[in-house]
Amino acid sequence: MSIEIRNISKTFGDFAALKDVSFKVEAGELVALLGPSGSGKTSLLRIIAGIEIPDENGGAILIHNEDTTAISFRDRRVGFVFQHYALFRHMTIFENVAFGLRVRPRRLRPSEKVIKEKVNELLKLVQLDWLGDRLPSQLSGGQRQRIALARALAVEPNVLLLDEPFGSLDAKVRKELRQWLRRFHDDLKITSVFVTHDQEEALEVADRVVLMNEGRIEQVGTPEEVYHHPANAFVYNFLGNVNLFHSRVEEGKVYLGELPIDLPAESAPDAKSALVFVRPHLLEIEHQRNGGDNFHAKVTHINAAGPLVKVDLVTDWGAPVHVELSHGRYSSLGLKREDEVYVRPKERRVFVKAETGDESRSQSTSSGRA
Amino acid sequence: MATDIANSGTLQGQPVAIGEPRWIRITSITVTLLFLGIFLFLPLIVVFTEAFKKGAEVYFESIREPDAVSAIRLTLIAAGMAVPLNLIFGIAAAWAIAKFEFPGKSFLITLIDLPFSVSPVISGLVYVLLFGLQGWLGPWLAEHDIKIIFAVPGIVLATIFVTFPFVARELIPLMQSQSIEEEEAARVLGAGGWQIFWRVTLPNIKWGLLYGVILCNARAMGEFGAVSVVSGHIRGMTNTLPLHAEILYNEYNSAAAFAVASLLTILTLVTIALKAAVDWKSQVEAREVRAIREQGLAEA
Repeated sequence: MSIEIRNISKTFGDFAALKDVSFKVEAGELVALLGPSGSGKTSLLRIIAGIEIPDENGGAILIHNEDTTAISFRDRRVGFVFQHYALFRHMTIFENVAFGLRVRPRRLRPSEKVIKEKVNELLKLVQLDWLGDRLPSQLSGGQRQRIALARALAVEPNVLLLDEPFGSLDAKVRKELRQWLRRFHDDLKITSVFVTHDQEEALEVADRVVLMNEGRIEQVGTPEEVYHHPANAFVYNFLGNVNLFHSRVEEGKVYLGELPIDLPAESAPDAKSALVFVRPHLLEIEHQRNGGDNFHAKVTHINAAGPLVKVDLVTDWGAPVHVELSHGRYSSLGLKREDEVYVRPKERRVFVKAETGDESRSQSTSSGRA
Repeated sequence: MATDIANSGTLQGQPVAIGEPRWIRITSITVTLLFLGIFLFLPLIVVFTEAFKKGAEVYFESIREPDAVSAIRLTLIAAGMAVPLNLIFGIAAAWAIAKFEFPGKSFLITLIDLPFSVSPVISGLVYVLLFGLQGWLGPWLAEHDIKIIFAVPGIVLATIFVTFPFVARELIPLMQSQSIEEEEAARVLGAGGWQIFWRVTLPNIKWGLLYGVILCNARAMGEFGAVSVVSGHIRGMTNTLPLHAEILYNEYNSAAAFAVASLLTILTLVTIALKAAVDWKSQVEAREVRAIREQGLAEA
């Protein structure tokens, strides 16, 4: 079932957590709400669930094209998985999963036999049917996470909402569990929204990513779209490591040291400064100034442990630069500390700064020759 | 865990408590034991030896005579009303303070502590000034033939006042330390307010609640000052156990006085035992949880 978020705002005291947010999750989709902490993503998830009430400004949450504002939790049928699982610590795993069925009004409550079958079926689904008698404290983090999911699914929810589902797990378990969640979603086809601050997680698992910052949506798109066609500086900066250069604008060109870059045609012509972004793996290191589409820099540190070699440099005008090279390229260059080299951007993105100093929201990119 | 450290410590020939010389340890332990002996164990023994001084027959006679039975009954009534009422009040107050933000919250917390900071005699006097014959509501009460002061209702009111912080005080920090995530989870799963309270909140606070109830009960049965002011000491009518013991003692009937006092002492011992049991039980649970969590972390 689809979820439509329509003009939702939320203020806590003086703090505006959400500013007029709207987007739609299609039926059967797995959508990630991605953003730094304080961006409003968890508030939005809690509002969709009905735990938090949005400001009264005409906004609404529609599930399956039906306004949920006046619908009770019982009829709303939302599955919610809390960041810290919020399992009932004094109940066994079985009772935790059975809770949603047991608290139904008597005429809707399934018989003890049906509850038992249902719970066992769910525990099998999350591959933990052998843990029914344990208490939540006796489980590992990953196991608790899956029990929280089984408990949420027991009420046969129309939509599934997950708040930082892998946030409190260690790196290895995280990786396993997110692939598991993806397969799980593909099997169940239940409309799901999850919150994360980890861009890798969002890009890997989600069908679509909603990027949030300071209570607003910056971009909505598939992982490829947001990664390769970022709408603005925030999105580009947030999705992956990036070198950021504050540069001056002169006569329609941005200067990276001595290297001029054409300003995108659609950008504000009266801009005084711009931000230039280049991802570390899209920078090439050369010993000679071939052709001149590069700038001069000095190597300050080399870290060759890992799949890529990470080289730190500093430009003539004092800005730090991070470059990632393959081991093959690194050894053919024979780089050492203190080497004087030339750095050539294979691709760069320019975001013009508005006069106020804010990064302009209108997108403006230019790709150099690759 | 602690024994492991102790053992490994002795194996290496190192003293476990480093830094303090032996004589300081011995002195502090001796002082503590001496103090407890003089001020706690000695009186305890005295109470029982005095009570049985004239033989078991006199002992059982003095707690079976009508005035004593009436005092026992009144004490049970006062505690029987004060404890449930303060249980409800305590949960409601702790819930409000721990889970909601509202103006005047810190004032309410101060107010809850009031009976701890006010002398019980003063609180008794306040009730006399309010409900007594010369008090504010006195004439109106007399007109309608309602007796509060020098009667059972006054004793119950004074007992409730003196004991109302116990449950609330025990629960507030406990409930503040627990997030409301479990309640939220129950709500999303479709549970109603009462279901959330009975199935989620109450089981999570049960040990603290029980602890508060035990302390509240002990104080309700043992309260002297406030009850003494409002009771009027009418034998067989408005005497609670502590008041009855005092009257007997003032009449130089020390065997009977100590017999009645021994009942209160037994109550104290039972309270201490229950308290210890609750402490032990909740600590065992907490330790189990911790041990399992550590084990889980070690495996991970």
